[in-house]
Amino acid sequence: MPEASPLATYVAWPFALAIAWVVGEMGYRMTGLPRISIYGLVGFLLAHTQTGFLPAGDDVGVKLLADVAFGLILFELGYRINLNWLRTNPWIPLTGLVEAAATFVVVYAVARWFETPQMASLLLASLAMSTSPAGILRVVNEQTSSGQVTERVMHLSAINCVLAVFTFKLIVGVGVFQTSGSFTEATWSGLLVVLVSIALGGLFGVLMPALMRQLGNLGRDATLGFAIGVILLVAITHAFRFSPVLATLAFGLVARHRRVILSPTQRNFGVMGDLLTVLLFFYIATTLEWATVVEGMAVALVLIAARFVTKTSIVAAFSHVSGISWRKGVLTGVALTPISVFVILLLEQTRHLGITMVEGLIPLAAVALLLEVIGPIATQRALIWANETPDATES
Amino acid sequence: MALEEFKTSDALTLGVELELQLVSLSDFDLAEASPDMLDLLRRKPFPGTVTPEITESMIEIATGIHTRHDELLSELQQIRNTLVHAGDTLNVGVCGGGTHPFQRWSERKIFSKPRFKQVSALYGYLAKQFTVFGQHVHVGCESGDDAMFLLHSLNRYVPHFIALSASSPFFQGRDTLFNSARLNSVFAFPLSGRAPFLLKWKDFEDVYFSRMEHTGIVKSMKDFYWDIRPKPEYGTIELRVCDTPLTVERAAALACYLQALCRYLLDGGEVPPAEDDYLVYNYNRFQACRFGLDGTMVHPKTHETLSIREDVLTTLRKMEPFAEELGGVGALEHLYRAAHMGSDASFLRQQYHERGSPEGMVDAAIRRFREGLA
Repeated sequence: MPEASPLATYVAWPFALAIAWVVGEMGYRMTGLPRISIYGLVGFLLAHTQTGFLPAGDDVGVKLLADVAFGLILFELGYRINLNWLRTNPWIPLTGLVEAAATFVVVYAVARWFETPQMASLLLASLAMSTSPAGILRVVNEQTSSGQVTERVMHLSAINCVLAVFTFKLIVGVGVFQTSGSFTEATWSGLLVVLVSIALGGLFGVLMPALMRQLGNLGRDATLGFAIGVILLVAITHAFRFSPVLATLAFGLVARHRRVILSPTQRNFGVMGDLLTVLLFFYIATTLEWATVVEGMAVALVLIAARFVTKTSIVAAFSHVSGISWRKGVLTGVALTPISVFVILLLEQTRHLGITMVEGLIPLAAVALLLEVIGPIATQRALIWANETPDATES
Repeated sequence: MALEEFKTSDALTLGVELELQLVSLSDFDLAEASPDMLDLLRRKPFPGTVTPEITESMIEIATGIHTRHDELLSELQQIRNTLVHAGDTLNVGVCGGGTHPFQRWSERKIFSKPRFKQVSALYGYLAKQFTVFGQHVHVGCESGDDAMFLLHSLNRYVPHFIALSASSPFFQGRDTLFNSARLNSVFAFPLSGRAPFLLKWKDFEDVYFSRMEHTGIVKSMKDFYWDIRPKPEYGTIELRVCDTPLTVERAAALACYLQALCRYLLDGGEVPPAEDDYLVYNYNRFQACRFGLDGTMVHPKTHETLSIREDVLTTLRKMEPFAEELGGVGALEHLYRAAHMGSDASFLRQQYHERGSPEGMVDAAIRRFREGLA
């Protein structure tokens, strides 16, 4: 393919985003499907490897923006998590632990059955534990849903993401240790990254509200201050190769629980959040290649089914004892389907380690593509069936 | 459908209903949590009753029938503990307060029940902005005539109940300068205000209700949003002007203050009510809503201007023998303290200034409801 002219490179991304936005709005109006599913589809189609609308090569700027977008979402998720609830209703964290652990075991077994190499199977299993907070929170905000399925899906997503990052880093750490023989590097990429990332986020969570208080922002909208904090934190964790995922999540959690001030924040970080979401879901799908998707499709379908059944049945099994109906338990499990943004960004953030085994994760491309479209739809349907979204007949 | 016959109740029995807020513990906004709460509460016997209200961020509880303050208080505390426990299980904050300080009415969701959907269709946004929280006190009456007599004799004391219960200083995110902004939402309804001045049940039934029914405007007593209305099927009158206080302790005290007043009025403690008493009614009510205990009111008979706080304190002292007879001294003591230390509205404003945000007020209200007040 001939190299794109600088001008074409310059306008290709804004154009592509404009297309994604228009198609997203039209698609949402016509089908009622979540906009983010449609952004993903458009992104996949316009990618360099498919129609070639977008230029080849890494766009560092776009990637950083995507990280910031995800950081904002994780912050908001952290801000909406109530750690006290996990203490007063221990069935919630227990559900999270069991469903994540069971997903790991089941997905590992399925991957091995398809003769995926051991290390790749372990990584696949650790990634499958997670539920992408991006998919969840976008749909929750788009639907303005409220109720137990909404609350639980957010808390379970936060729990299984932390567990997934932890397990993933641990496996990567062990993998690096096996290939390079350096124990320090293994530890560094493992536990230490997790701890330092959380500590960094926690520090921001303490300092930002204090700073805002100093600036006399008491009681005023804190959205801008937190957004700038998130951007800074993502940049720092990126530069020093910590986990932006854990750091921004911890930032939100601590900012909320410190309760130095309770101030209103706009859901979704307002218009800025909406804008970055288009870019995020679009960008994620551009990283996927048709050839890889097709190659891994068969395994991917089985993996998706296994993960779906495991998550849904375990969350449902714990539903009655944790205070909700069986029906809402099943729906909470269904709503946990999204995975794509989390997985892709986690892999992107680990690329610098030069781990070749990541290339062995072929089914992941198909999983990511399918669930980028299906995941948000599953969450959206679950919230609607749970009757937690506003009644369209009321105005 | 003709009005039901006025069922006879034991005089001065009490029942309390409280509309409570269901709040998200993430952002302290109202949460549409009543279906999940009701679902969980159905699993175990509930002390009293719990029912849905018009929007899904509200829940209504009601006590059984009581005569004594300590028994009423004890049931209310059990109800509170059950609700708080259910809220803990579901990550839902439960609190009192006449309004939620910053919820937006447009985000509310009508509870799925035919009557609520009908009300919503008729009243439009009034139904959703009616996401305000009141305390209703039922007092048993031996006859319909007693009920009408009490209903009108109490007109002079309505400002007391507004001022003592006031707990809605903020509305839609802003300080309204009112102590009870909630009642402004009630006044928006066409059939709100006071009951027509009829002292005999028969007249009320034949002269007023059946004619109103004939106009097609009303079908049952439920269509009236009066400050005090008779409830023939229970054999009670229902005082509806109180904001839901921040604690069940204040709710019990207000109910027993009303009980003592009714005893005093039934004993002929005052000149019988007259239609002209209502000349000052709306003004007094406004003063109580706007300024609370710091407001002034005009005595309906003498037309002298009184401080509401002073009048409350004087009346509380006057009620002591009646409360003693009814086992309600503790209630009056509670209200003495409240009249001196300020209403829940002043507590909420103080929290706003200390914590710097309406979210902080809601957090304080949740704690206050949970911990109670001696």
